[in-house]
Amino acid sequence: MEVRMQPMVRQRETEEKDDGRFGILPARAPLANPYVPFQRNNPPTYPAKKGVVRGTLFPGLDLPFMGMVNEAPLPETHLHELQTLGFALVELGEYLDTHPDDAEAFEMFRSYADLYKKGRAEYEKLHGPLTQGGAANAESYTWLQDPWPWDFAANTQMRKED
Amino acid sequence: MFVYEKKLQYPVKISKPNPKLASIVISQYGGPDGELGASLRYLSQRFSMPYPELKGLLTDIGTEELGHLEMVGAIVHQLTRDLTEEQQKAGGFASYFVDHTAGVYPQFASGTPWTAATMQVKGDPMTDLVEDMAAEQKARTTYDNILRLSDDPDVNDVIKFLRAREVVHFQRFGEAVQKLREKLNEKNVYYMNPAIDR
Repeated sequence: MEVRMQPMVRQRETEEKDDGRFGILPARAPLANPYVPFQRNNPPTYPAKKGVVRGTLFPGLDLPFMGMVNEAPLPETHLHELQTLGFALVELGEYLDTHPDDAEAFEMFRSYADLYKKGRAEYEKLHGPLTQGGAANAESYTWLQDPWPWDFAANTQMRKED
Repeated sequence: MFVYEKKLQYPVKISKPNPKLASIVISQYGGPDGELGASLRYLSQRFSMPYPELKGLLTDIGTEELGHLEMVGAIVHQLTRDLTEEQQKAGGFASYFVDHTAGVYPQFASGTPWTAATMQVKGDPMTDLVEDMAAEQKARTTYDNILRLSDDPDVNDVIKFLRAREVVHFQRFGEAVQKLREKLNEKNVYYMNPAIDR
């Protein structure tokens, strides 16, 4: 019993200093069932610009293969700005699906949603509709315009200064 | 219902065509642990999931996987654009080219067409969520293997992003199991199937 308690105590001591890498296991755990520690409420987060290139907003879940990580931020374009905000929304949304009572995370979700709404309106004004319905806001039916998202050009053009 | 947003979740900009690499990456489009199977698995498992928070998680992750399917398709498309005759004949790609030219077809890297036999909808919440955890790990390993095989920095940038999502989704499905357990018989979580027994 003592042998088993030791590592748990050590883990708790480091929890204060960690970056959210340790979670919570149930106190009484039925056998023959898988256990993944629950991510704690209000976990540390990267700024969205770093999170999007890392593929997660949470340092505790940033577990790269052989140290291969994207270091460079995305170039500053309207599209990438929107992708960054949209990514933060997806990540926080999935987090909230399992942590619906985390008020801080919900607040963050709301502020990213607000920024996304504004970014989206600006993007559509300059670069055309993001949804078919959005085409109704333009002077003519611009939905069909190239480039489409999978085209190389769609991902390289549209710098902020353009 | 679904509404299409005319943008990728994360940018895909592959500067150099490389058909041989495309014939490997295609496995995450329609391969045994690819994004087509991932999205269909979660979006289909939703129907028999009795708990609202777990219906929501399957919907949200399944929807994100559709976005990943589009991204992997974009990688394959850009790796096979403007091919020279030499590149069409290149080792490792000719057998794909003869069947699909430069189209994006859901298949394994080995050429087997995508099959629903690679996924399961068991209609039992615990069974389905454990399958989902395994699925995320299998996709993660596939992305690890692509990183081993590819030296194209533009492709690897996107693969690293997609791989990181698998780790996050594994965590969420693990948390979903814990949420499910709270709703089941504390002494015997296998007492019944909450999808059909009340």
